[in-house]
Amino acid sequence: MICTQDLTFEIGEFRLDSVGIEMLRNEYFVLLGPPGSGKTIFLECLCGLRKAASGRILLDGADITHDEPRKRNIGYVPQDYALFPHLTVRRNIAFGLRAAGNSPKTVAFRVNETAEMLGISHLLERSVPGLSGGEKQRAALGRALVMAPQVLLLDEPVCALDEATRQNICSMLRRVQKDLKLTVMHVSHNLEEAFSVADRAAILNNGRIEQTGSLDELLRKCRNEFVARFMRCENIFTGTAAESLPDSDACTVRIGEINLAVPGRREGTVQLVIRPEDVLIEIADGNNGGRNRFEVCISQWRDFGSHVRVELEGSLDLVAHVSHAVFRKIMAAQTAKLAAILPRENLHVLE
Amino acid sequence: MRRGNTPNRGIRDRLFTGACAFMLAVFVAFILTLIIADVLYIDKEAVLKVIGSHDIRHALWMSIWTSVLTTFISLLFAVPLGYILSRYRFPAHAVIDAIIDLPIIFPPLVAGLTLLVFFSQTGLGKWIQEDLGLEFWFQPRGIVLCQFLVAASYAIRSVKTAFDDIDRRFENVALTLGCTQRQSFMRVSLPLAANGIIAGGILTWARAFGLFGPLLIFVGSFRGRTEVLSTTIFLEQSIGNLEAALAVALLMILVALAAIITIRMVGGRVQLKL
Repeated sequence: MICTQDLTFEIGEFRLDSVGIEMLRNEYFVLLGPPGSGKTIFLECLCGLRKAASGRILLDGADITHDEPRKRNIGYVPQDYALFPHLTVRRNIAFGLRAAGNSPKTVAFRVNETAEMLGISHLLERSVPGLSGGEKQRAALGRALVMAPQVLLLDEPVCALDEATRQNICSMLRRVQKDLKLTVMHVSHNLEEAFSVADRAAILNNGRIEQTGSLDELLRKCRNEFVARFMRCENIFTGTAAESLPDSDACTVRIGEINLAVPGRREGTVQLVIRPEDVLIEIADGNNGGRNRFEVCISQWRDFGSHVRVELEGSLDLVAHVSHAVFRKIMAAQTAKLAAILPRENLHVLE
Repeated sequence: MRRGNTPNRGIRDRLFTGACAFMLAVFVAFILTLIIADVLYIDKEAVLKVIGSHDIRHALWMSIWTSVLTTFISLLFAVPLGYILSRYRFPAHAVIDAIIDLPIIFPPLVAGLTLLVFFSQTGLGKWIQEDLGLEFWFQPRGIVLCQFLVAASYAIRSVKTAFDDIDRRFENVALTLGCTQRQSFMRVSLPLAANGIIAGGILTWARAFGLFGPLLIFVGSFRGRTEVLSTTIFLEQSIGNLEAALAVALLMILVALAAIITIRMVGGRVQLKL
C-alpha cells in the first residue's frame, strides 16, 4: 500500500537514516519510539511537508516522493490537532472540501456525514477554543477523514488526553479504521496505546528502524537490547554459551554461577531476555538444582492493580509479574525460600 | 479593577499590581493633562475660526486622504513582505530586515532630504519626474510618497510579527488538505494575522497622519495644495498665531482618537472570511 525505501532526511544534528517501512492495505500500523526519535519528522516526510534527502515513498506502487502534499491524498492529524482557531468546527471539517471547490450542498452533506460518524454533530457550530481535548481530536480527525484519504497519519493522537478519553478515542480510531477500511499510521511512544489499536508496529530509535513486526513479535522476539527495553523487558542478561545439549536444538548459557538452557545453538557471548510475565515463581521444595530453576527471595514488590511486580534476588536478580492469586499463595506460604523458573521456550537470545 | 479570574493574592502581589496600575494612571494622566491644558488655553472663537476656515478644512481633507492612501499602499507591501520575511530564511535575510527598519530609526527629516536629493539630483529621479511625467516634488502625491517612506516600515514590522506568531502547522495542515500555498495563505495565515495587520495599519496611519518634517522639505506647505494639518500647526505658530495652532492640534487629536477607536472596535468584531 504505502512504503518507504531507504528514506533519509537530515535536519541539524538529527538524521532519519534509511528508513524502510511497508504498510499493508487496511492495516493499522503503529510507529513507536521515544521522544526525539524522529517519528514526527518521518510522518512529515510521508505527507510531503518535508523533502526527503534520498530514498523513495511509494503509494500503491506509484512514486510520490516528490509530489506536493496536496497531490498525495494522505490525511494528516498533527500532534496538537492544529484546528484552525478562526473557524467553527463545521468550517474546519469543511476546509479541504471548500478549498477543492465542492458545491455547498456536497460540502454540507459530507461534513454532516463525517460528524455523525464521529459523534460530533452537536459540536459543528462551536468555535475551536472552547472544545475539550477529546472533542478537538474528533474534529481534527473529521477534517482529515472528510477528504477520503488513502492513508491517514496520526501524530500522537491521544497523548494529551486523560486516560478514559484516551481509551475512548483509541476504540473509536480502531472502529473508524475498520469501518472505512483505512490504512492508518499512528505514531506514539506509549505501549498501551499501541496494544489497543495496532495490527503491526515498528520501533524507531534515533532515526533508525530497530524492528518491525506484530506486537507479539516485538514483545517476545525482540531483535536487540533497545527494543527489549522499549517493550519493558526488564530481564536482560549477558552470558557465555557453554555447551550444546545433546537431546535437543538447545544449548546452555552460563550467567554468573548458574547455567540456563536456551533454545538454539550459540557460541561466545550472548544476551538473553525473558519477559517479567514469563518468569514463574513457586515455593522452593529443595529440588532447586534443575536447569532454569534456582532459588530466589523477594526483595521488593508493588501492586499495579492488574498484576504484582516482584523483584527477586538470588543467583540471578530478576523481575517477575505475577497474578494476585499467585502472589497471595506465595505470601501465605510464609517462607523466604522461593524458586524462580525460566521456561526454556520463553528465553530469547538477542541478535 | 476586574478580578474575576485572578487567584488569591498576598500583599506583595497586590503591591506589584498596584505599582503597575499607578504607572498606567500616571501616563494616562500625563497625556490628558497636556490636552486639557491646550483646551483651557484656547478660546471658543479660535476653534470656530479654525473649523470655519476653508484652508484648514482643505488641509484636514488632505491629511485624511493622503494618510489613508499611504496606509493602504503600505499594507499592500507589508503583507507579502511580512509573510516572506517571517516564513523564509534566505541569504542576506538579516541585512534586508535591517534595511526595512532603517526608516524607523533615521530622523524623519532625512527622509525628506533623501527624496529631495533623489528627484532633483539623480538621473532616475529626473527621468521619473520629467520624462515619465510623474511629479512628486511639491505635489500632493509627494505627501503620500513621504508618508510611505517613513511609515511603511511600521506596517511591515507589525505584519511580520503577526505572521511569526502563527504556528506553521496550520499552514502545513492546509497543504495536506489539498490547498496550494496561495490558498493556505489566503484561507489560514491571512485571517489569523488579521489583528496584527489591523494593528500595523493603525500604526502606519498614525505615523502618516502626524508626519511633518519631511513634508515641509519635500512638498512644502502651500495653502490649498500641499498643506496638511501638521504643517498648518507649524505655519500658524511660526507667525505667532498660537491659538489657531492649538485649535488645529486639538482637531488632529480628535480625528486621530476617533479613527483609532473606530478601527479597534470594528477590527475586534470583524472576522475576515476568505
